[in-house]
Amino acid sequence: MSILIDANSRIIVQGITGRRGRFHSERMLNNNSPIVGGTSPGKGGEWVFNGRIPVFDTVKDCVEATDADVSVLFVPPHATADCILESIESGIKTIISVTGSVPVQDMMQVKSALRKSDSVLIGPNSPGILVPGIANAGIFPDHIVGPGDVALVSRSGTLSYEVLDILNKAGIGVSVAVGIGDDPIIGMDFKFCLELLEADPHTEQIVLVGGPGGDSELTAATYIMESITKPVLAYVVGENLTGSMMSPFSSRNSYFFLNSVERKTIAFIDAGALLARKIEDIPCLLRR
Amino acid sequence: MKLQEYQAKALFRQAGIPIPASMLATNAVQVKRIASEIGCPVVLKAQILEPGRGKAGGVRLVQHEQEAEQIANEVFKLEINHQSVQSILVEKAFTYLKEYYLGIRSDLDIGAPVLRISEAGGATCLEKDSFLNARMVERQIDIDQGLRRYQVRQLLTKIDIAPSLWKQFGSIALKLYDIYQSNDATLAEINSLVVTHQEQLYALDAKINVDNQSLFRHETFVDSFDPTYYGWLEHQARKYGVTYHQFSGELGCIVNGMGLAYLTFDQMISMNSVPAAIIDIHGGSTVSSMASSLELLLHDNSVKAVLINIYGGMTNCEEIAGGIMSVTANDRHKKPIFLRLKGTNDTSAHETLSSLNQLQIFDSTHELVKAALDHLKDSQ
Repeated sequence: MSILIDANSRIIVQGITGRRGRFHSERMLNNNSPIVGGTSPGKGGEWVFNGRIPVFDTVKDCVEATDADVSVLFVPPHATADCILESIESGIKTIISVTGSVPVQDMMQVKSALRKSDSVLIGPNSPGILVPGIANAGIFPDHIVGPGDVALVSRSGTLSYEVLDILNKAGIGVSVAVGIGDDPIIGMDFKFCLELLEADPHTEQIVLVGGPGGDSELTAATYIMESITKPVLAYVVGENLTGSMMSPFSSRNSYFFLNSVERKTIAFIDAGALLARKIEDIPCLLRR
Repeated sequence: MKLQEYQAKALFRQAGIPIPASMLATNAVQVKRIASEIGCPVVLKAQILEPGRGKAGGVRLVQHEQEAEQIANEVFKLEINHQSVQSILVEKAFTYLKEYYLGIRSDLDIGAPVLRISEAGGATCLEKDSFLNARMVERQIDIDQGLRRYQVRQLLTKIDIAPSLWKQFGSIALKLYDIYQSNDATLAEINSLVVTHQEQLYALDAKINVDNQSLFRHETFVDSFDPTYYGWLEHQARKYGVTYHQFSGELGCIVNGMGLAYLTFDQMISMNSVPAAIIDIHGGSTVSSMASSLELLLHDNSVKAVLINIYGGMTNCEEIAGGIMSVTANDRHKKPIFLRLKGTNDTSAHETLSSLNQLQIFDSTHELVKAALDHLKDSQ
């Protein structure tokens, strides 16, 4: 059932007693997500949410007691790499970092550790993974979309909500929605996610939402051409932004950066994917 | 964040990378005094982060002490890409035999540092033909092991450089890697690294870009943050933990997340318009960061109307509603606000906002952008 998480997943929250961790853990629980524990250094032994969920000092203790295999991180950016590395060492299979803006060199160390392990990192700066009716591991808004056979994979969190909202209004449900994260360096890329979706029996078609910058969409396009048999509908935000007038989008603002949108749309068409020029067109381009 | 050349050179000096004698001056009289201390010829280098400094006349040779003040005044009068020159680095000038390029950058797609060496450096880099003909070699660095001396040597054997310089070159590369790592740089670059007649290597220029996402552990760089370079509004926005992008239109926009920023902008352009500004409040914004962002736009005279496009995941819509209420309560401008607010806790957020007259509420990005732009068109 689904990819990366399912009804049998055992989810923990790192940073469960912080402002954001507490707020979103409670939401996840109210949506019947299978949360089995949480960590907060110094608060081991406490119970939260009316005694429903135990808190541990370390991920290792938490895994030993709960047999957890998924972790969702709500910790500050400076502590994120440390918490991901702790989860990897403790044998967590799927690690979701909702936290974003993680220092680039911290993420380089994380990438190095991931290459030597079986863990999969989603994010940083990811909204998480949503399997409607089964689990909401992350920050996807409640009741945003119902179950169905379309999978959504997106870099941007807010754009994934936008697309789910549009699908929901058109009466289309999803098998799974994954936000791979919009930080400079991320764990799982589009290609790896497509590989999982191709093998997922609950997914019939795939919607891929990309944006300017990076190579991940180009690698994905090549992979779609070579290995994906399911229909893929791609949307790359920012097509109208190409050109010199757009320069002030700071830090990632070069002309080439925005030009990359055009390169990506062409790559998806060449790969045999369907392309949505406008985000509103996504529902009518899906097979019914 | 880009460091000024003098800041980068201070890091070089600390690390023991050989650089020519230099001092920073903030007026022409100081330039003259430093020139006489260091001894002419010297080079005057405008400290400015815009590219094209040399072409704009921001790098000048001073042969004799008498002309130092005159040339310094000319450099201080320059405006390079709308940036005025605040300070000049006065540096000892000397002749050299050959220039190299040495750089370490963070490759975001592979998630590792990359070392690059070229046998063409400095001004020749700009002349396309000579750069293309020159050999450029690079390799990935294992972040856990760091850069090793043999790895530099492997690259050096592939370019035109005397073996007698390998050891010096390797030491500089290792020191540059230390600087790259300890300052969370995304780029540390020497262009050019020159060989003198005495077979000594010197770093003539220094470029270091620090990862913005790591600034919390580099307080000293934040203190030297130059508000004249980033603009007052960008500077204010940073204090509130939001990101401000300025454009030339009349609609001030607040969005959460880069994806939604791109979508909102994209739809405006497809309707032949541009925003006045886009403020990205990121995920998990609070009442106060929302309120501060809205205040920035309401007080901006170029902003005729405000568009707020929020889809809350991490962001709690109640915090957004609270921010809007706290600002509009004391707002004298009464600029119209066009709002799309959906996601986490949106129902109770809309209850909070139900009494607000200057607000028009929409359900999708498309409807929102269209209504705001139609309003601006009608009021012209």
